[in-house]
Amino acid sequence: MIIKKELIKREIAGDTILVPVGKTVLDSNGLFVLNELGAFIWERLPGAETEAEICDAILAEYEVSPEEAAADVADFLEKLRQLNII
Amino acid sequence: MRKSEEPYLSTYLHGKGRMLGMPIAGTFELTARCNFNCPMCYVHLTPEQLKASGKQELTAQQWLSIAQEARDMGMVFVLLTGGEPLVRKDFFEIYDGMRKMGLLISINTNGSMLQGEILERFLESPPFRFNISLYGGNNETYNRMCGTPAYDRVKENIRRLRQAGVEVSLNLSITPYNKDDLEQIYRDAVELDVNVKASSYMYPSVRVNGEQYGCGNRLSPEESAACSVEWDLLRFSPEEFAARATNMVQKVSVEKEGCPVEIGEGISCRAGSTAFWMTWDGRILPCGMMMEPEVYPLKNGFADAWKELREMTARIRLSAECTSCSYKEVCSTCAAVCFTETGSFEGVPEYNCRRTKAIVRITKEKYLERKEK
Repeated sequence: MIIKKELIKREIAGDTILVPVGKTVLDSNGLFVLNELGAFIWERLPGAETEAEICDAILAEYEVSPEEAAADVADFLEKLRQLNII
Repeated sequence: MRKSEEPYLSTYLHGKGRMLGMPIAGTFELTARCNFNCPMCYVHLTPEQLKASGKQELTAQQWLSIAQEARDMGMVFVLLTGGEPLVRKDFFEIYDGMRKMGLLISINTNGSMLQGEILERFLESPPFRFNISLYGGNNETYNRMCGTPAYDRVKENIRRLRQAGVEVSLNLSITPYNKDDLEQIYRDAVELDVNVKASSYMYPSVRVNGEQYGCGNRLSPEESAACSVEWDLLRFSPEEFAARATNMVQKVSVEKEGCPVEIGEGISCRAGSTAFWMTWDGRILPCGMMMEPEVYPLKNGFADAWKELREMTARIRLSAECTSCSYKEVCSTCAAVCFTETGSFEGVPEYNCRRTKAIVRITKEKYLERKEK
């Protein structure tokens, strides 16, 4: 999946923060914070072709059902699409 | 006029930083030089004064090195300021270097240089926000206050930034030179769709003028109060002003319970707790208005300097009289005010006592006038 915005990921005291850079500053209104699962998905976005690949990675790491993983991934990606990030 | 609120995430990070001892926000005062010459400035040095000081500005590499150390300890927010930071020929070396570190950068500027190639570069890579000082509502006021008739140019530069969608907030210092321009400045802010952070309180310029505590090229406390209320009347709706007035009067009338305190409270703002200010000559202060405590990151590294600054700041106590004052809840006095007004953190800043009482009195009068109408 292609990340369309310039964002720098930072770890600050246990939180994962995305800092906008370049023209992304104009439409971001500040920082984005990711929860643990969001950070996990974010790391895998550039190498993933499909949502299913990301779900498989979650199932390999976390003890959740395939349905829960799929719902979490869909929810997170939808938020990124709304923000025009992917 | 736009209203500005601090993003929730900033409040959250500062809260976390306070618990963990992290520097979340840093101000980098890149230079004491400026292409304006305002009489109330707390930092501006002329080339002659700079030469006489025997001090030198830090290099771009030194700024980036300190920023990297602070960033590695958690710094997220950076404010680049001066003097006028854009007079540095290597400004973009510093700015671009910090951007690539993942820092959210705001810039304090007088706005006069935001055109041509400089503007183009910022439009390609804008900061999170420009805080532009607006010094008046026409060229004559600018000439009187800043020594250059730059009003039209600055306003046009702001307009271009806004057209490109760049975030701009105006800083307004209300002084004897521009106090008659408030209505025009308010109209400009509405027209440009920008927030204004106004203050009619000017700190004594002790960093420039040595130990001239309590002195300044500024309005009297009562004039300052009148201007403050005049600005409130412009920016607030009648309902908002009424609510502000009621709230203010209630806060003052609440009697302090218990015994008067013997020891004043410590610093309650972020200075020296999650925020620091690095001066153009390489010292770190809790806040740029203070002269002490100061630490030296270029000697022993940022981490040690930050630890030392936090410890020294935590020991500061303000006046017991201020802590138990019935006007405390409506008074904007802080450690920097006490120090610059009296030469001591524990001093009682009389200028601010008079100003605060006058603000409450005039606000109440205006509220009652409006109510009768």
